[in-house]
Amino acid sequence: MKKIIMFLLATVCVGGVFAQGSFTATYPISIPMGDLSDYIGATSFRGFTMEFSKRQKKNLDIGLETSWHTFYERQSPAVYTEGTASVSGVQYRYTNTVPLLAGVKYLKETDGNFTPYAGLGVGTIYVNRSTDLGLYRITNETWQFALRPELGVLIKAGSGVSGVLGVKYYAGFGTDDLDGQSYISINLGLMFSNF
Amino acid sequence: MTIKLRYWLAILVLPLLSSCYPKGAEYNEELDLVYTNYNPDFNFASKMTYAIPDSVIKIDGDNFLDPDGDLKPEFLTPANSALILNQIKQNMSAYGWTKVDKTANPDVIILVSTVTTLNLYYYYDWGYWGWWYPGYYPPWGWYYPGYYPPYITGYRSGSVLLQMVDSKAAPGAENVPVEWTAICNGLAEGADLQSRVQKMIDAAYSQSTYLKH
Repeated sequence: MKKIIMFLLATVCVGGVFAQGSFTATYPISIPMGDLSDYIGATSFRGFTMEFSKRQKKNLDIGLETSWHTFYERQSPAVYTEGTASVSGVQYRYTNTVPLLAGVKYLKETDGNFTPYAGLGVGTIYVNRSTDLGLYRITNETWQFALRPELGVLIKAGSGVSGVLGVKYYAGFGTDDLDGQSYISINLGLMFSNF
Repeated sequence: MTIKLRYWLAILVLPLLSSCYPKGAEYNEELDLVYTNYNPDFNFASKMTYAIPDSVIKIDGDNFLDPDGDLKPEFLTPANSALILNQIKQNMSAYGWTKVDKTANPDVIILVSTVTTLNLYYYYDWGYWGWWYPGYYPPWGWYYPGYYPPYITGYRSGSVLLQMVDSKAAPGAENVPVEWTAICNGLAEGADLQSRVQKMIDAAYSQSTYLKH
């Protein structure tokens, strides 16, 4: 966990270079999909998303995103059998993901306070999957190539401050260690900008 | 937003990030784990009788415990031994096995040991049993036909080991086959330890239905 926090802190520092841009902080609610959903079915209410963007044109942002999503589920006591061996106990399953993405965002100009946008991010997702069974822990760590399309709306709240409501689809691509991890995040937060 | 403000926001956010780490097991019972494995070529259905020693031996790593230095293994207290052995006997009986004396030519023998240690080398010398229970076996080694027992490491971990050996293996063989094994592992502490051990022994049998007649 310390590693993840240091990583996020480093990203915050890197974000300082975008002096003419915006900083977005959102709270994500994430719904697991695919292989991740098979492993942990529960929706994640734990996470944090940060974005640093620079306005390239009137309606085009480029930026960096990093976030942290924690998926967690306790399995009911069960017997797990493989071949002749059986193990029974309570499993605690955890998946922590840290996407690190570069992205573009197209914003649609409107007359009102609402600015819809669509974007695409490309990068990598660090995935740490851990299964606790009894006193033992099995951990699988991997980095996956990732795409992240998004849709959302900015709601102007004042000078340099907007509310953000958006949906992101994080699609990790499988590696030898782990199938692709993917999930949909509903994000709610604030964007601070100096324009 | 100024860069300075951005750093302050980051500092405020980091404690929040720490707090989003989810919890794990909250009760000792949730840390209990039962492992079983068996020889798929052994015909359990044709075996009806078993013998079992009246004590549970204490193992420490790959050695038996011998705190008084008399070269004799240490055993669980009679009360704790009885707790474990009775639970095994109940399960064996429920599965249609008949307990007989070791001199009555049993089909299998069940050997029970416990270990509370950081590391358990799940391979200890058959000689402890042969030495202490001369009626059970000469001091040979043993092997696991068709499967491998795990190597277990743990922290403050305790285990009860059950080994069912074929008492009619070819005389003179160097090793005795362990046809079924069970490891009940968990935290070796807590007021509910005894009831947890009993539950784990029950679980070992309920996940080993091939022992049922």
